[in-house]
Amino acid sequence: MMRVTLVSMVVGAGLLLAGCGSGGGSESASGGASKSSGFAALKMGNKVEVSSFQGGYGLDMFEEFGKEFAAAKKVEVKVGGDPRIWLQLQPRFVGGNPPDLTWPGWGMDYWKLVKENQLMQLDEALDSMAADGKTKWRETFEPGLLALGQEDGKTWMLPYHFNINGWWANKTVFDKNGLKVPTTYEELLTVGEQLKAKGIAPITFQGQYPYYSIFGFVLPWAISAGGMQQLDDMQNLVPGAWGSAAVVKAAEMMTELRTKGFFQSGATGMSHTESQSEFLLGKAAMIPCGTWLHSEMKDVWPKGAEAVFMLPPALASGKDATNICVGIEPWVIPAKGKNPLGGIELYKYMTTQENAVRFVEAKGTLMGIKGANEKAKLPEHLKEPARLFGQSQAVWSPMFSIWYPKFKKALEGATAQLMNGEITPKQFAEACEAAAEETRNDAKVMKHKYSRG
Amino acid sequence: MKRGGGWFRFAFLAPAMGLYGLLFLYPVAQAFFMSLFNWSGLSDNREYVGLKNFQDLAKDKIFVGAIQHNLIIFVGCGIAVLLIAIVVAHLLQGNGRLTKALRASYLLPHMVSMVIVAVMWRFIFNPTLGPVTIIAKALGVKDPPAWLGDTKTALLCVMVAFIWYGFCFYSMLFAAGIKGIPEEIYEAADLDGVRPWQRFRQITWPLLWSIKRMTLTHVAIATMNMFALVQLMTAGGPNRSSEVMLTYLYETGFSNSDFGYATALATVNLVVVLAVAGVINFIYRRNPSGGRDS
Repeated sequence: MMRVTLVSMVVGAGLLLAGCGSGGGSESASGGASKSSGFAALKMGNKVEVSSFQGGYGLDMFEEFGKEFAAAKKVEVKVGGDPRIWLQLQPRFVGGNPPDLTWPGWGMDYWKLVKENQLMQLDEALDSMAADGKTKWRETFEPGLLALGQEDGKTWMLPYHFNINGWWANKTVFDKNGLKVPTTYEELLTVGEQLKAKGIAPITFQGQYPYYSIFGFVLPWAISAGGMQQLDDMQNLVPGAWGSAAVVKAAEMMTELRTKGFFQSGATGMSHTESQSEFLLGKAAMIPCGTWLHSEMKDVWPKGAEAVFMLPPALASGKDATNICVGIEPWVIPAKGKNPLGGIELYKYMTTQENAVRFVEAKGTLMGIKGANEKAKLPEHLKEPARLFGQSQAVWSPMFSIWYPKFKKALEGATAQLMNGEITPKQFAEACEAAAEETRNDAKVMKHKYSRG
Repeated sequence: MKRGGGWFRFAFLAPAMGLYGLLFLYPVAQAFFMSLFNWSGLSDNREYVGLKNFQDLAKDKIFVGAIQHNLIIFVGCGIAVLLIAIVVAHLLQGNGRLTKALRASYLLPHMVSMVIVAVMWRFIFNPTLGPVTIIAKALGVKDPPAWLGDTKTALLCVMVAFIWYGFCFYSMLFAAGIKGIPEEIYEAADLDGVRPWQRFRQITWPLLWSIKRMTLTHVAIATMNMFALVQLMTAGGPNRSSEVMLTYLYETGFSNSDFGYATALATVNLVVVLAVAGVINFIYRRNPSGGRDS
């Protein structure tokens, strides 16, 4: 599930969701593919093949939906999956025999598939009726999440469940020591000293996977120091954005926490599960992680441990303290599948509100289907993220990390160095800016333009 | 054998040569061919770019760093494995209880899957629970490094894991090599009053010439093609401090969807492996004992 984490963050972009104050979409500088999906001309075949990423949510619900759809439509549905499904899909895309419906997983380069004309444009399908026959299918999805799979106004990827990224606080630790979960950076500094005095590390993190620190420390605090436009500029690789004062400030905050001894000793060498175990065992009080924490750690969750979701404590004088990071894990219809209409119809069935509610309750995740989260009995641990999400004025996701994987890797390297105390905040910002410049100047890298409404 | 049996001999060699061509030469040629294209690996759209991928590789600092790490691993692990293997091979020569116990167990690390090796060593280097950290703290190190998360120690940790995994196999080679040295030579040396160190330096070491050559060649191939251990222990990090050629190849092909560049990298990797193996065989071209090359 660690990689589910990644996808949850990489596929999203900072966008408007119902009730939130910002919106947006993604525009490609290099253009998309066909003008029409040819949806009207499609005929439904009698076999539907589904290939799904097999992560923490398993395959059982998809198999169940497949069986129900098969019985209702008198077709044969085959559902397959693998934790590395993208490796199996790549040769199938090259060979022109992909499945009819797929969730290709965190390792798939989704936007390269778009560039290579391997995905079906879904706008005509979205304008057809949903499975309930009452509204257009497009109306099924949260518009902000739907926009995450769009480029140049064309839709290529569809949301299903989504994650909210932030921090978690070990409630047991805070309650036992009579401490209050910090809401600002200044409070964090105070609480951190109190935790340290009790022999508890205030924060741990997934040091072997530095993108957790990028999404949990660097970006939220760069927004806090520079506002949402700062993040947009960083996503768009605007010259100077990654070397800006806001990024330096974020790095200074991280350095301050490190030099004050707030980070758990050895955290830079910990994997996601190791650090999350340390957190759940109460050896550290807080950790940056998304709403997948419970499903990822359910098998090793210590008895009595309780974790509450919190936003990264922003500067009290910050420019935007009410933003939240989300991401989707999209499903796609391959353009060269044998039965794309079958794939579309099955996905319509999977995304009815009723079935979305079933998925929420079975798997304990938030869904990108309108009304499902409100109607479902949300697990206790998702209530707070859902509440914070509803209150947020801006919703964002680090889209650059999937657009530019090599750039992301360079940022990870600089972040690891910063967390190890090998470079100064200024050097960190310079390294980030240098990596951004290299990406900007690399003609081989397809450029994207992100815009928020 | 009669002269003029060329076709006869060719007929016997043809199946093996055919398989070699099909399973080795053809994929290598195909990889080289693919390296001449800009290709995402996600469709059959390819753009011919000639040798541009190779030109870019020559300027790629990450790749150059990865080759350096491969070479450091080869030299470090090669020396360590050679020394440990010779010691263990000598310990395997006796007939005592300890020797028998060692003989029964010394190959165990090599029987473990590389994935298990990586997972095990990840635990050993765990910054809170790992034995290395615990021992370091017991020895008075106040704040031990995060081992796999520290740019100064990550590569070393990978090397230690490889040495642990590899030494036993090479010990077996050296043990067999020592067994192959005629006992009469040692007996004659004993009659001449040769001391143990001289006995090793003047007899054993030179007569293990072909084993040393084979070991170093094998270590070179194993370390220059190292992938699973690095990928699972550090994924090349932190900040590419343990990046090796094949982890970078994997990233380039499967994360960056740049298969043309990745196949160019694979081609260069093959050339580097051949070059290193060639240098080793050049250094060991003459048998100092004057014996037959084996």
